[in-house]
Amino acid sequence: MTRCLDEGKLQSYFDGELPIDMMESVTSHLASCVTCAAAARELEEESALLTTAFAGEFEASVPTERLRQRIDEAVLGDRVAFAQSSQKSGGLAAFFSGLLNFGTQRALGYASLAIVLAIAGIFAIVKMRTTSEPANTAVNTTVPAPAASNQTNNTVAQATEKTSQPVPETVKLPTTLRPSHNNGVRAVPVKYTPAAPKPTPIKLLPGERSYLQTIAKLDSTIKSNKNSMRPALQVEYERNLAVVDRTIAATRSAAKSNPNDPDAADFMFAAYQSKVDLLNTIADARVGGGRGH
Amino acid sequence: MKKKWFAACAVVALIVSLTGPTLAHENTEGKPGEKTERSLAVDPQATVTLCVASGTLTVRGWDKSEIRVRSLDAAQIDFRRIDKTKDPAKPAARVDVMVLDKRSATPPRLDCQALASVEMEVPAGATVQVQTRDGDITISGVAGAYAGSQNGDIFIERATKLVEAGSVGGSIILKDSSGRVNLSSAGGGVEAINVRPGGPEDTFEVGTVTGDIQLERVSNPKVTAKTVNGALMMSGPLAKSGSYGLTNMTGNIILAMPADSSFQLNAKVSEKHDIISEFPLKYLSEPAPPAPAKTKPQPPAPKTPAPKGGGPVVAPIVVEKPAMTMPYILRRVTAVCGSGDAIISIASFGGAVRLKKI
Repeated sequence: MTRCLDEGKLQSYFDGELPIDMMESVTSHLASCVTCAAAARELEEESALLTTAFAGEFEASVPTERLRQRIDEAVLGDRVAFAQSSQKSGGLAAFFSGLLNFGTQRALGYASLAIVLAIAGIFAIVKMRTTSEPANTAVNTTVPAPAASNQTNNTVAQATEKTSQPVPETVKLPTTLRPSHNNGVRAVPVKYTPAAPKPTPIKLLPGERSYLQTIAKLDSTIKSNKNSMRPALQVEYERNLAVVDRTIAATRSAAKSNPNDPDAADFMFAAYQSKVDLLNTIADARVGGGRGH
Repeated sequence: MKKKWFAACAVVALIVSLTGPTLAHENTEGKPGEKTERSLAVDPQATVTLCVASGTLTVRGWDKSEIRVRSLDAAQIDFRRIDKTKDPAKPAARVDVMVLDKRSATPPRLDCQALASVEMEVPAGATVQVQTRDGDITISGVAGAYAGSQNGDIFIERATKLVEAGSVGGSIILKDSSGRVNLSSAGGGVEAINVRPGGPEDTFEVGTVTGDIQLERVSNPKVTAKTVNGALMMSGPLAKSGSYGLTNMTGNIILAMPADSSFQLNAKVSEKHDIISEFPLKYLSEPAPPAPAKTKPQPPAPKTPAPKGGGPVVAPIVVEKPAMTMPYILRRVTAVCGSGDAIISIASFGGAVRLKKI
């Protein structure tokens, strides 16, 4: 399999809907194709995010059969009541009798509609609960003393930084702070915005962070240079950078799958070092023109 | 009459041809189509720098204690002494060659901004540092050579003490040189032929990203060659007790050595790729690679109650999350050929290794 995988196939792969031989070929393709591996990772992160977000809904048992029975009973009761009332009233009600004349298919259709509405209602209730929780916490917040305020602010900052983790309930999250009359110190209002769910950050391997920091610095150095990169240099830079990035991805994957093998990590670090060297070369070339003494 | 006229013309021509170099030696102003040339007496081991934005640079070592610089494109050539002790009685030990090209005469460009091709002669014992953005660089017969070009090729030969050359997109060729060597190119290939050490500490280092590396008769005691995506070829006799570190990621590594070579091979290669040797290798060990990391066991799927009453009963489908990573297994080989004088350390993430006899 040399062509890149489309999203549908990747989704089927994650859903386990592909035949075994296709699963194997997709797996091997993902191991060799960086683009597809990246797309797969993205899709996997999205799936994980959705799974986490809707965990409550997924775990809640939907009483399909019982609900259906109740709806059927209710519908049947309505039909009986309507039949009785139509016998009494006649006239205009006779016009609706055609609409409400439940055949088997129509009854099933209404039942399905009712089920859908019921599920939508459950989703809406659960969602309202989850979104209203921080607001409730904020309402119950008391005005903190200055020291406490700083502490609170720090805590909030930490909590917002760690967006992947749920905000602990003990943390005070004030939407607005009323001015404190006790000490006359004006509290700085902290606007709290509920932490938007973000994809789970990629877990770095030991020793990887320092390389990434160095690369980020060099990258910003290159980008901060006001002189635009000459096309020939740009092309050469991007071509080599793509190769190095592919190598880093491949070696990183190997290091990740062999966490106890220092040699696998060495290859990854060597690839990172190649990128550092390349960026250094480009940074020097762009700054270039000096005689170096 | 005709003969007299011819003789007069010949005399005039002779006078003109003799006076030309003398004027150039002193300093010729750059007029269109004319060569600008300047000379300066320097220390035999002087350090000379030359830097242009674009243009071909050619440097040759000669047996005079002076530098001579000439260019067709330059309007002006100046020398800037940067000696620590600027004693006018002594010849310059450190000199910057300032080139001002014709186009940049008004307004004058900054240092290293000239668009000019330059030729320069320096003492054979001098160290030169030359830099251009686009042009090629050729250096021959000097003691030390530092050369940098973004996209041009670099050719250095007969350097005696040290060579450092770097290019982003150009290739680098080093021939018949000695001393410490450091060559690097991102996209260009690097070739070194007949390089030897000047002293026991003289190392040879070469690195590329996508360019191939070809080393032929490199006898420095310590050779380090790294490439990301290029092929790596080394041929020639090994230095006794030499140390060779060859690393690549995806290309193949080929070593061609005399049949009587004696070395110890420490190789780390992917299990998917082979080590092919024409030498009789005595394997010392091949430790088993560490077991690949197991995927975390999936938590048991929640049991769903069977529906009561009628309707089709569908068996619960448990979708297991497939493993995303294919196991990468590294093979380690330690082997000896002969008495194992030289140490060859090879690390190839995704390439084959071949040891050939020559």
